[in-house]
Amino acid sequence: MKKKFISALLCVAMTATMLTGCGGGNNDKNSNNNSSQVENNNTGDDANAGDDANAGDDANAGDDANAGDDSSSGGGKLTVWCWDPAFNINAIEEAGKIYQASHPGFELEVTETPWDDVQKKLTTAATGNALDTLPDIILMQDNAFQKNVISYPEAFTDLTGSSIDFSNFGAAKTAYSVVEGKNYGVPFDNGAVIACYRTDILEEAGMKLEDFTDITWDEYLEKGKEVLAKTGKPLLSCQSGESDVIMMMLQSCGSSLFDEEGKPAITGNESLKKVMETYAALVKEGVLVEVNDWDQYIGTLNNETVAGTINGCWIMASIQTATDQSGKWGITNMPKLVDVADATNYSNNGGSSWAVTSNCKDVDLATDFLASTFAGSVELYENILPSGALATYLPAGDSDAYGKAQDFYGGDAVFSKITEYAGKIPSNNTGVYYYEARDAIATAIQNVVGGSNVDDELATAQGTVESLMQQ
Amino acid sequence: MTKTKRMNALMYVVLIIVSIISVFPLYWMVIASTNKSVDVTRGTLLPGAAFIDNLKSLFAQQPVQRAMFNSFKYAIILTLLALVICSLAGYGFEIYHDKGKDAVMSVLLLAMMVPFVATMVPLFRLFSSAGMLNTTPAVILPTISTPFLIMMFRQSARSFPHDIIEAARIDGLNELQIFFRMFIPTMRSTYAAAMTITFMNAWNNYLWPKVIILDDNSVTMPMLVANLTEGYVTDYGVLMLAVLLCSLPTIIIFFLLQKSFAEGITGAVK
Amino acid sequence: MSQANEPKKKKMSLSRRHNLTGWAFLTPATLMIAVMSFWPMIQAFILSFQVGKANDLRFGGIDNYIRMFQDKVFMKSVGNTFFYLILQVPIMLILALCLAQMLNNKNLRFKGLFRTAIFLPCATSLVSYAIVFRSLFGVDGFINSVLIKLGILNTGYNFLGHATSAKIIIILALVWRWTGYNMVFYLSGLQNIEYSVYEAAKIDGANPLQTFFKITVPLLKPTILLTAIMSTNGTLQLFDESLNLTKGGPANATITMSHYIYNVSFKYVPNFGYAAAMSFLIFILVAVLAFIQMKVGDKRD
Repeated sequence: MKKKFISALLCVAMTATMLTGCGGGNNDKNSNNNSSQVENNNTGDDANAGDDANAGDDANAGDDANAGDDSSSGGGKLTVWCWDPAFNINAIEEAGKIYQASHPGFELEVTETPWDDVQKKLTTAATGNALDTLPDIILMQDNAFQKNVISYPEAFTDLTGSSIDFSNFGAAKTAYSVVEGKNYGVPFDNGAVIACYRTDILEEAGMKLEDFTDITWDEYLEKGKEVLAKTGKPLLSCQSGESDVIMMMLQSCGSSLFDEEGKPAITGNESLKKVMETYAALVKEGVLVEVNDWDQYIGTLNNETVAGTINGCWIMASIQTATDQSGKWGITNMPKLVDVADATNYSNNGGSSWAVTSNCKDVDLATDFLASTFAGSVELYENILPSGALATYLPAGDSDAYGKAQDFYGGDAVFSKITEYAGKIPSNNTGVYYYEARDAIATAIQNVVGGSNVDDELATAQGTVESLMQQ
Repeated sequence: MTKTKRMNALMYVVLIIVSIISVFPLYWMVIASTNKSVDVTRGTLLPGAAFIDNLKSLFAQQPVQRAMFNSFKYAIILTLLALVICSLAGYGFEIYHDKGKDAVMSVLLLAMMVPFVATMVPLFRLFSSAGMLNTTPAVILPTISTPFLIMMFRQSARSFPHDIIEAARIDGLNELQIFFRMFIPTMRSTYAAAMTITFMNAWNNYLWPKVIILDDNSVTMPMLVANLTEGYVTDYGVLMLAVLLCSLPTIIIFFLLQKSFAEGITGAVK
Repeated sequence: MSQANEPKKKKMSLSRRHNLTGWAFLTPATLMIAVMSFWPMIQAFILSFQVGKANDLRFGGIDNYIRMFQDKVFMKSVGNTFFYLILQVPIMLILALCLAQMLNNKNLRFKGLFRTAIFLPCATSLVSYAIVFRSLFGVDGFINSVLIKLGILNTGYNFLGHATSAKIIIILALVWRWTGYNMVFYLSGLQNIEYSVYEAAKIDGANPLQTFFKITVPLLKPTILLTAIMSTNGTLQLFDESLNLTKGGPANATITMSHYIYNVSFKYVPNFGYAAAMSFLIFILVAVLAFIQMKVGDKRD
C-alpha cells in the first residue's frame, strides 16, 4: 500500500518536472515578455517572489521587470487587457502591427482577460487603492462604461481634446463613452442590430426577405404566425432571463430605462410598456421561443429550429459556423414598434470601446496609437473584417472591402448595409445603473410572460431599481 | 444464501446506475471535444473527427503548456504546505486538547463562514501594500491554512490510539517525532483523502488567482478555460477539450490515491 | 528525548510541557488564518457600517443591516438558499454515507472504478456540467424526450423556466456534484473502523441495515459532523450553480445570497458596504448552525 501511495506522489512530481521542461520551451515561443521573467517562472521556486516584490511599487506593475527595456528601445510600450482572441485580441494586435510599421520599436503587450475579470480587477484595484496595477488600455463593454467612469473617475484618462477625432464615429456609439460631456473611450466594434432570416424557410411559407424589410412588429407577428403554421418554425429565439430583445426594441425608438437626470423611467414609460406587450404577444403566439442559455440559443440557429434571429451584427460569426447553411441566410433591418413616437428599424446590442486608464504613464503614446489605428486607419478595419469585426469608424464603411458581395448571405453586400444601419441608430441612455435596471426588467418580463399584469410588474421593477440606487 | 446474493446483485445495480449518472457529463465532454463546434450545439452524442483540429486550434490560441505548468506549480506547493501545516495543527488540537484549544478551534472555524467576495478586497489591499501582487506566495498564501483541513485532521486524530503515543514516549521519541513517525504513517488514508481534496481545490481555484495575477505568464488552467468562453463566438469543441484537460489531473490523482484512502491500513496498527 | 532521560520531573510539568507542545503545533496554522482570514474579516466588518457607492463612502451606522431586510430580492435569495440547505444537505450526506458503506465492502469487485466514477462529478469542470445539465433539462432535452416517450408528458416542459422545478434542478445538480466529494471523507473515516467489528456483528446476526445504524454511523460521527458543517457552510455560500445553471432565474426564483452579493459587488454599481453587511448575515447564520451541530455532534466518547 505504501508503495502505491508513494508512486502516486512520484507521478505528480514527475508530471510537474516534465511540464517544467515543456513550459519553459513554450514560454520562449509564445510569450512577448522578456526572458528574465520567464526564467523566474521556470525555476518555480520562491526566488521570483523577491524579484516581483518590486512590482507593486513599480509605477507600471503590469510591466514589472520589462520597464528597463523600454527606454533603451525608445519606441515605447503599451499594455492592454481585453478578451476574445478571434475578435478583440486579433483587432488590437493588428492595430499594433500597423502602428509598429510607422513606429519601429513600439511594443504592445496584450493580456487576455475575460470581460467579467476586467470588471473584477478594475473594481478591486479602484477600491483597493491599487490603480497602479491597471494596464495602459482596457477594453470595456459599452453598457458598463458610464457605471465605471462615474464610480471610479480617478481610474480613467479624459481623451477630449486629444488627437482623436470623435466625429468620425456614429453618434449613438460614441455616446456610450461620453460622461459629462467628456470623451473617455475610443469606439470599437459595431453592435448594430440586424434581423437575419433563413430565406429558404421563408420561401417555404411563400415569403421573401423583402417582406420583412422596413416592417412593424405587428406585421412581424402576423407573418411569424404564418411561417409557424406553414413550416412549424418560430421566427425568433432568445435567452429567457436576459433582456436583450427588450433592450433592442426599446432603443429602436430612442427610449431608455432612465431619464435625462439618471432617474429610473420604468413606470409611466409608454414605449417600454408597448415593448413588454409586444414581447409577451410574440411568446404567446409561439413566434418567439425562449431557451435557457446562450449555447441553446446558438443551437436553435445552427439546428434550423428557428427561421431567423435578431441581434447585434456580431451574431453573424456564430451563424457562419454552420458552413452547410451558406447562401440560405439573408440580412435586413429589424421591425419597428407601432404607435410609438420616433420608432425606427434600427438599434444596437453589445459592442465595446477602448479606455485609457489613469495608470498610463505615456498618455501621448496611448492616444497617438489609438488615433492612428482605431480612430484613423481604414486599413486596420479592412484587415479585421474577416474576423467579423465591423467598424463604427464611419470612413471604413466606404472602403471596397465593405462593399463586397457575401456568398453566405445570398450574395448581398451585407457589411456596407450594416454600416449604413449603424448610422441610423437612435442614442440610448444606459445610465449608471444600467445592469440593475436590466435585471429588474428581465425579472418583470418573465413574470409578464407568465401572465402577470404589465403595469404591476413595471412598478415592481421601478421599486427594485430605486432600492438598489439608494446609498 | 440467496438473500445475500440478491442483496449483492442489488448493490451492483445501484452502483452501476450511480456510476453511469456520474460519468455521463464526462462522456459528453469527451465526445464534444472530438466534434466541431456546430455539431456540439446540434447535440451530437457520437464521436466526431475534429479532435486533432480542436487540439491544434486550442494550442494555437492558448498557452496550454504554460497554464498546465503554473497550475501544477501552485497546486503542488499549496497541497504540500497545507498538508503539513494543517495536519500538525489538527493533531495538536486533538491530542493535546483542553478547553482553551477547543475554544481556539471554534474560533478558527469562523474563518470560513464569510463569503470570499466580502474579504477579497481587504485581502487584495493587504498584498498590494506588501508589494506582493503577481507573486506565487500571493496566489497560495490565503488558502494554505484552512479551518476545513485542520478540522478534518482533528476529527480523524480522534481515532488515533493514545496508547501508541504513550508507548512511543516511553521509547524516547519526542512529540514532533511521534507526529512524523507514528501519526503520519498511521493516518495515511486521511492524508490521501486530504491530498486529493486539497489538490482539487487548489487546482480549481479561480477567483483569487485571477484577481492577484496581472500578466499572462501566470495564467492557470481554469483561467484558460474562462478565456475560451468569453468571445462573441464560442468554439464548443475546443472549449470542451480544454475543460477535459483541466479536469484530467484531479481525476488521475484521485484514481491513483483512492486505494490509499479506501483500503488504508487494516491491522497495521494495534 | 529529554523527557525520557529525566523521569524524575514532576508529572505536572510533563503535562504542562505537552500542553505547550500542543500550542506550538497549532501556532503556524492559526497565525496564517488570523492574517489571511480574520484580518480581512475585520476590515469587511468595519466596511459593513459604511454606505455609499464605489469609493465614496461615509459612516452609516446599521443602515446597511436595516436595508437588507427591506430588500425584496435579497430576502428572496435568503429563502431560496434555505430551501436548498434543508433539502440538499441531508439527501447528499445520506447518499454519500450509503455509497461509502457499499464501496467499503471487502468482496466488491471493480471498487477503484466505481469510486473514481462517483468522485468524477466534483472533478468535472463547472463549465461543462452546467452546459450538460441545461441541455438535459431543456424543452427538447433528453429528460423531456424520455418523459414524453413514457407517456408522462405530452409536450416538453421547461424545467428551468419554472420556479419550483428550477430549484429542484439546482438541488439535483448539487447532489450530483458533491456526493462523491463527501463520500471521500466517509471512505477514509471508515478505515478507522476495524473490519473485525463488522465480522462480529455478522456473526451476531445483524442485518446490513442494523450494522449501518449501530456501527457505521456512531463510529463515523466525527466525520459526519465535519461534512455536515462543511456542507452547511458551502450551501449557505452557494454561488456557482446559481450563476452558471440558472443565472438566478426565472425571475430570481433560484438566486442565492452569495450570487446577489456578487451582483452588488461586481455587476451593479459597486456597493461594498452593503455587500459586506449581507456577507455578515451569512456569517451569523453559518456560525449559529455550526454551533448547534458542534453541540450535538462534537462530544468525545
